Amino acid sequence: MDPAIESLIDLGLPLAFLVGTYFVGSAIEARHYRSIRAREGALQRLPAVTFRSVPAGWEVLESGLVTGSVVISVDYFKRFLAALRNLVGGRVKSYESLLDRGRREALLRMKEEAAARGCSAVINVRLETTRMANSRRGGQGTAGLEVIAFGTGLRLRGDPA
Amino acid sequence: MRFDSRLPDDAVNVSPTHPAREALTLVAGVAVGVMALVVVLAIAIEAVIPWIPPSFEARIFSNRWLASARNTDADRQAPELDDLLARLAVHWADNPYDLHIVAIDDPTPNAFAFPGGWIGVTTGLLDSVESENELAFVVAHEIGHFRDRDHLRGIGRGLAFALAMSALGLTTTNAAMRVATISGDLTARAFDRSQESRADRFALAVVAAEYGHVGGAMDFLTRLPRPEDGAHDGIRHYFSTHPLGEKRTDALRLWVRENGWPDEGPLRPWSGRAFGSAE
Repeated sequence: MDPAIESLIDLGLPLAFLVGTYFVGSAIEARHYRSIRAREGALQRLPAVTFRSVPAGWEVLESGLVTGSVVISVDYFKRFLAALRNLVGGRVKSYESLLDRGRREALLRMKEEAAARGCSAVINVRLETTRMANSRRGGQGTAGLEVIAFGTGLRLRGDPA
Repeated sequence: MRFDSRLPDDAVNVSPTHPAREALTLVAGVAVGVMALVVVLAIAIEAVIPWIPPSFEARIFSNRWLASARNTDADRQAPELDDLLARLAVHWADNPYDLHIVAIDDPTPNAFAFPGGWIGVTTGLLDSVESENELAFVVAHEIGHFRDRDHLRGIGRGLAFALAMSALGLTTTNAAMRVATISGDLTARAFDRSQESRADRFALAVVAAEYGHVGGAMDFLTRLPRPEDGAHDGIRHYFSTHPLGEKRTDALRLWVRENGWPDEGPLRPWSGRAFGSAE
């Protein structure tokens, strides 16, 4: 094959992947953020706080563990940006929005579970992040991240105030 | 205690930089860094090469596989090849190399300069040349690489670049590695092209000295595949290791005129054989 064409394929194919995953990834991210904001608005009145104990004045009828977890993956474009960033150091900005979405989605799912069980507040909320190793590449690659939010859902007499 | 139900702030945990802008900045930064690295490596190698004597080079690169290919085919290798090399090498007065030539069984017309003084010519080349003068230009071009020690440059740059990339922890599967490799390659090819031009001019001088004219010498270049559309030449130039066909011959014709070499004369026929008869 003509070496110029070969080089163009070598250069063009990943470039096409980058441009493609950039647009697809951005569209998915924008849609996800729209959904996150709408659901956050809907659940705004359900407090999820990090207190370890029940605030004074709350009359608890029932309590139980509520969880919300999400598994997120990195797209080709974000991974490419992070790989370049690894060379020079600094904030890995391409992963920031990804993890922000992950945390907010996990909290939302937890609140949704709490609301479905009739809870009007969640206390002692914790967030944890786990890297899921890729079975290929000797476990070196990242298959995705899990963000889990959990806390104690409380069914209260009256509204939390 | 009052519960203040505010919505999360979008701007706190996510940097506002646009990802496309971030991508362009990073790619440009890495590309410029790698290009600078290649230039620095090339300069370093330039400084090292004079300190490597050809005898040391021959000892390190004994080219066992080439030598053995040569020995297996010793009876069959066309003696005309050795004869041609010997006649051309005479025109390089202070040649420190013990030059060898070997025919490589490969249909693609090509020739190589291997470290230690070995020249490889493919059977495809030997079958396609129309005169000895044409083959002489190609062989002399490879001798030119030995005179300028370009084969060491190529190996040295490749090795130094590979070492630098692995030191940075970049592997071939990595997309970042592609950015680095492509920008490194493009920079290295600029060096390659200037080496090829030097070797071309040396080859013409040798051919002119041997035959008294440079007729037929550039036939090989004019028969190289040409791009269909000249519009791509601008881009192709940066991707090619050798100067592009037309540009290359134009530069050589100018060189011929400047030196006053006759550009026509009787051509010596080439048998067109890679190997002698086996009996």
